[in-house]
Amino acid sequence: MDSRDPLEPPAAEAIDSELEFHFAETVEALMARGWTEAAARREAARRFGDRGKYYRNLKRLERNRVIRLFRPEALVRDARYGLRALVRRPGFTSISLLALALGIGVNTAVFSVVNSVLLRPLPYADPDRLVMIGNQAARGAASLADFLDWKNQSRLFETLDAFEINRFTNSRFTLTGDGEPEQVIGYRVTAGFFDTLGVKPLLGRTFAAGEDAPGRPPVVVVSERLWRRRYASNRDVLPRPVILNGRQHTIIGVMPASFEFWQRDPEAWAIYPLAPPTRRGPFFIRGVARLRPGVTVDQAAAEMDGIARQIELAHPKDYTRLRIAVVPLREIVVGNIRPLLWVLSGAVVLVLLIAISNVANLMLGRATARRREIAIRLSIGAGRSQVVRQLMIESLLLSVAGGAVGVALATWGVAALHSLAPADLPRLGEIAVDGRVLAFTLLTSIASAVLFGLVPAIIVSRTALTSSLKESDRGGESRRQSRTRAVLVGAQVTLSVVLLVGAGLLIRSFDLLGRVNPGFDAPPERVLTMVVSPTGPNFPNTPGVVNRYWMRLLERVRSVPGVEAAGLSNAAPPDRNSFLDSYEIEGRPQPPGSPNPPIPIPYVSADYFKALGVPLLRGRWFNEQDTPDSPRVAVVSDAFARRHFVGENPVGQRIVYGTWHLEIVGVVGDVKYRGLNRDTEPAFYQLAFQYEWWDMWLVVRTRGDATAQAPAIRQAIRAVDPGVPVDRIGTMARALSESVALSRFRSLLMTVFAIAALLLAVVGIYAVVANSVAQRSREIGLRMALGATRSGVRMMVVRRAARPILIGVAVGLAGSLALGRVLEGMLFDVAPSDALTFTSAVFILAGAAFVACLVPASMASRIDPIRTLRGE
Amino acid sequence: MPGTLDVLILTALSDGPLHGYDVVEWIRRATEGALRIDDGALYMSLHRMEQRGWLAHEWRVSPKGRRAKYYRLTPIGRRHLRAGERNWRRFANAVASVFAARGRT
Repeated sequence: MDSRDPLEPPAAEAIDSELEFHFAETVEALMARGWTEAAARREAARRFGDRGKYYRNLKRLERNRVIRLFRPEALVRDARYGLRALVRRPGFTSISLLALALGIGVNTAVFSVVNSVLLRPLPYADPDRLVMIGNQAARGAASLADFLDWKNQSRLFETLDAFEINRFTNSRFTLTGDGEPEQVIGYRVTAGFFDTLGVKPLLGRTFAAGEDAPGRPPVVVVSERLWRRRYASNRDVLPRPVILNGRQHTIIGVMPASFEFWQRDPEAWAIYPLAPPTRRGPFFIRGVARLRPGVTVDQAAAEMDGIARQIELAHPKDYTRLRIAVVPLREIVVGNIRPLLWVLSGAVVLVLLIAISNVANLMLGRATARRREIAIRLSIGAGRSQVVRQLMIESLLLSVAGGAVGVALATWGVAALHSLAPADLPRLGEIAVDGRVLAFTLLTSIASAVLFGLVPAIIVSRTALTSSLKESDRGGESRRQSRTRAVLVGAQVTLSVVLLVGAGLLIRSFDLLGRVNPGFDAPPERVLTMVVSPTGPNFPNTPGVVNRYWMRLLERVRSVPGVEAAGLSNAAPPDRNSFLDSYEIEGRPQPPGSPNPPIPIPYVSADYFKALGVPLLRGRWFNEQDTPDSPRVAVVSDAFARRHFVGENPVGQRIVYGTWHLEIVGVVGDVKYRGLNRDTEPAFYQLAFQYEWWDMWLVVRTRGDATAQAPAIRQAIRAVDPGVPVDRIGTMARALSESVALSRFRSLLMTVFAIAALLLAVVGIYAVVANSVAQRSREIGLRMALGATRSGVRMMVVRRAARPILIGVAVGLAGSLALGRVLEGMLFDVAPSDALTFTSAVFILAGAAFVACLVPASMASRIDPIRTLRGE
Repeated sequence: MPGTLDVLILTALSDGPLHGYDVVEWIRRATEGALRIDDGALYMSLHRMEQRGWLAHEWRVSPKGRRAKYYRLTPIGRRHLRAGERNWRRFANAVASVFAARGRT
């Protein structure tokens, strides 16, 4: 029998239908007693009374019913009843709780990241009006002359300031003059910088207007961390004279620990003296500006476009196709991470959906057993809505408890995220479980309860309504119920396949990235790299001084036992390039407006190639013949030779770079300077000693493990000059690992989510198959009594379970193709429809599902046919 | 006395399910037209009692072939009928003894 009374009209019509019947009967009875039809109708209406009032009263009754449904004492009673019901079934309760905790927990964790990175406003005053300005690209740098032009010609900015990241110094200052010399991360800023951002110092003051005018005494603001470390949080330390990069400065303020801009952990912001520029360069400056109220980014961009045209006209030699980018600060800070966060959010939503369908499934399985209990409640006069309410409250209890456990899981997960995330993940420090996250969790829990509780509650209250109490209830499932359960299993499989494929694609990418040849033969764990920055009174700007230091340094380091080779470079693989620039080949001028694309141009010492093990393909290395006074020389990379000298010998040709004409003396193998995931690009090397460089990477190849040699090498550097700071010391192995940290991070997270999904799906499949075996034990027993073998029974159970699983896999594969496109930007060398990944996902899932079916199947095969026949 | 109508309807249904018109007619006949109540008020009472769980309903085809909503007592409704009956008897007895006492003075 269907669960609905076939005669029952839809709820909206029931009232009218009843009245229609009443009037028809009344009129008929009156006419039978001799009334005319018209009179009978009038009489029936008179007897009924005010019909409008009747409808109004009914409406009030309905309203009261809803109010009564949610009155507190009933809710409390239901909650108590539900709690007892949950405690009575510890197996069901703990599995559901676990599934929900997992699903809600991963969502809470990921939302806490999304919340602090994407949703919370940047920690500056009125951050939506802040924009970054750069040449060509948003992160592109400009010259001081550019900045002054912007400032003088623009009208739409309330304030426009600049900061200078000096790529050669890796934005580090050398701090001396009071105590130990040390290197601190920092950059120079114009006077209004802090006011534009709208941030206040913790102590002292920030820069005053005009303090960046040339000739004013240089001042610097430091971080809370530096103040704590170097000055023991002494509040009376200001103003403090220090020597910064060899020049006298005064510390005038301390910024709070929470202040962060552009870089993680900057520790010093020095004033940028606006000395009148003599040329358009170097390009170290970026603009940060506050839009006037009501001005849009597009309007500002249009204005800067006009300014770009004027700069171009005034300086045709310096620029072609100049574009000035104006981009919201928010985009700069979080733009790169946004796609990853959306993908992760999507992944955890899938995990939650699997958990929900899992619990819904368990609920349905359980509901069959509860049908009698519910039928009794209905028969003693409980309304269906009351029964649904009671079941829903039980669901809510379950999911809110699951949410609470989930929050605990998430707190732990966020802590794990802090330690796993790549260091350059923006706003990482701000990530925490806060009030908004908790509200999200509560909402998610409630939504989950509605999803997994409502449909089973309605189905059950309906079937219970019609299945009479007299029937000996064997606990069989209705057709609708078993169909719903099969669909739920299929959905879980689908979602798991999608997550498995996603994780697989990212793992493959990460794996392939790790196999990329960085371009050198030296074993990475035997190469040590560090930045050495000779600055201070011992290094006046006198020609020859710094190069003499470098010579002595290399000699000293090479004499350390265990060191095989040592070289210098201002760029290091795999992703520590210092700058890009354009150039020309002598005798082949580029057409105006289309210069050669900018490429890495490292300045190196002769032994740099030997220390790294970069192969020489043609010509010669730099050697002793090349001196500061001899003709300038260059060594080009293989890709460079292939781009410009196909079928020719590059050796002997000349590169025009600025005012220099560099003779190519050799060709070396390609080295990655801008990340392993970038295609090989051309590069050419110059000999550092033909110029003067103050900050260099020292690259040391050791005989054994490089880490063990680090103290001895540090010692050697100190022996040459104790005042020279050494920074960012680490093995090449670590640098390689850090360069793929983001890839590792996302593949790791996706894998965790995929495993969670797989576990949930396996539990879901197991529960459904076990339940159906339990319900069909009589049938199975009969079959065995009639001669079915144990293996035949096992096969039958597995075969029945396989259908929804196979359909789920097929739908999942289709879904994965769509997902692949979403992931495309995060993949490296793997097609979004990678066959290996798809096959592996199917095999993993099929294997897990098979195991999940096998246990209940073998249980079924052990059913005793004799006991079945006896009717037990 | 409040609840009178409810008790009458519960009594009407105590012998088995009836549709709304039957309830109206049963009460008209039983009270011999002494009770002047709008049919609408009777229906309101039916709805109210159904909502409280005293009555349940099901749709059936009436003997004359029309689709009708039949009401029946639930166990809770039966309990309320018994309680209502007791209250009424007590009330009626009380009123009767008041009249009897006046006759004696």
